Amino acid sequence: MTRSLLRIENLCKSFGATPVVTDVSFDVNPSEVIVIIGSSGTGKSTLLQCLNLLHTPTSGKIFLEDQEITAPGVNQDLVRRQMGMVFQEFNLFNHLTVLGNVAIGMTKVLGMPAKNAEKKALNELTRVGLADHWHKYPAQLSGGQKQRVGIARALGMGPKVMLFDEPTSALDPELTGEVLVVMQKLAAEGMTMIIVSHEMGFARDAADRVIFMENGRIEEQGPPDRIFTHPASERTREFLSIITTGNTDQATGKASPDRP
Amino acid sequence: MTEFFAYAVMALPELLQGTVVTLKLTAGALVIGLAIGLPLSLLRVYGPKLIQPVCSAYLTVFRGTPLLVQLFVVYYGLPEIGVSFSRMAAAFITLGCNSGAYQCEYFRGAIQAVSGGQMQAARGIGMSRFQGIRHIILPQALRLVIPAWSNELIAMVKYTAIVFLIAVPDLMNKAKILSSQNFTPIQTYILVALIYLVLVGFLSLILHGIQKKLAVPGLDAGMDGR
Repeated sequence: MTRSLLRIENLCKSFGATPVVTDVSFDVNPSEVIVIIGSSGTGKSTLLQCLNLLHTPTSGKIFLEDQEITAPGVNQDLVRRQMGMVFQEFNLFNHLTVLGNVAIGMTKVLGMPAKNAEKKALNELTRVGLADHWHKYPAQLSGGQKQRVGIARALGMGPKVMLFDEPTSALDPELTGEVLVVMQKLAAEGMTMIIVSHEMGFARDAADRVIFMENGRIEEQGPPDRIFTHPASERTREFLSIITTGNTDQATGKASPDRP
Repeated sequence: MTEFFAYAVMALPELLQGTVVTLKLTAGALVIGLAIGLPLSLLRVYGPKLIQPVCSAYLTVFRGTPLLVQLFVVYYGLPEIGVSFSRMAAAFITLGCNSGAYQCEYFRGAIQAVSGGQMQAARGIGMSRFQGIRHIILPQALRLVIPAWSNELIAMVKYTAIVFLIAVPDLMNKAKILSSQNFTPIQTYILVALIYLVLVGFLSLILHGIQKKLAVPGLDAGMDGR
């Protein structure tokens, strides 16, 4: 049996009587890049937030490196710091500088001395190309810069897997590119990534596997080549044709500014 | 006019003694109010459901009845059930508990004005709820609360005046004595009004300075058009 980094078994989540995620199971291998696609309201973001327990699954199990993190008594704070989360709305800490945003988790959660944390934070900022902006506050940054700080903040905790919740949905096409470049670099470095996204171009280029969700379930999954060219499910075909015909520019052009 | 200044020079030392008491009462009440209001607001926002009725009851009582009634209950009423306070203690307790109720609501508003995404992000990097409140929510909420809190400070300077009704030797009390000794109500109370005005103006200025100093760069950018 190959050892998966993350294993999701029969995960269900409902809010009150409304089921949002229904019986979702999949494995995530180390260094794998998974892009989850699907219409709005099909439970993609909720699924992602269940993975690092920001939402508590109603039923089902999640294993991180063979440890069941959904078991009672598990220290959830300890789990979350091993899974980096990047938010659609960035959610940068407004009262802290760029450097402070990246360093605060290291000092307050990991207990690193401030000096070391700042040095490491600067390294992470270099990784996302923002070292020069370390002293600025979030309100002084562009959207794309904010999201790159968000990525650096998550990376700073040394996560085993990175979760991206529609990381470019709040950005205009020009700024989307700079965030996707950073994400592609991470993927190339071997980071395990699960990304909820509407960037079909990015999915095609960077994903090892695409998961199409519909009504809280996994409708279909597979390598991007197959999903995008020969989808097995009628519903997947329908979704992809709406996305690509209605939005041709975004689906093909956006993700590749750095590619030949 | 010269008569007024002559009287002012005579009366000021006495009035300033009272002013010191007024300032002590204001500071004490605000500190007690902070010690009650901040934890209470955290309970209101993050506390268990079970405790909410207790918080609401406290707020309802102290915000729903006149401060003067509260003062009389504490100073004249409680001794009947065997709990008696000195004048000063009664004044501190009443003003402090009253301010606590108002400050709780100011803090609650500020905490809730910090977006929910901030807590989500804090938890996302592995902070506990407590760490999220301490390192992420409160530093932002405390900045947001300053304008509302200035109101409480200004109001408290003036609210303290009612304690002369239980003969605490504050500014108002000294004024009352001076004006009846010298038959100079107009001069005395104009002087008193001026002193309160100076106090309030001075304190607002300080708070405004603090607010400016703590402002997060870029956040209050606003606009420079007309």
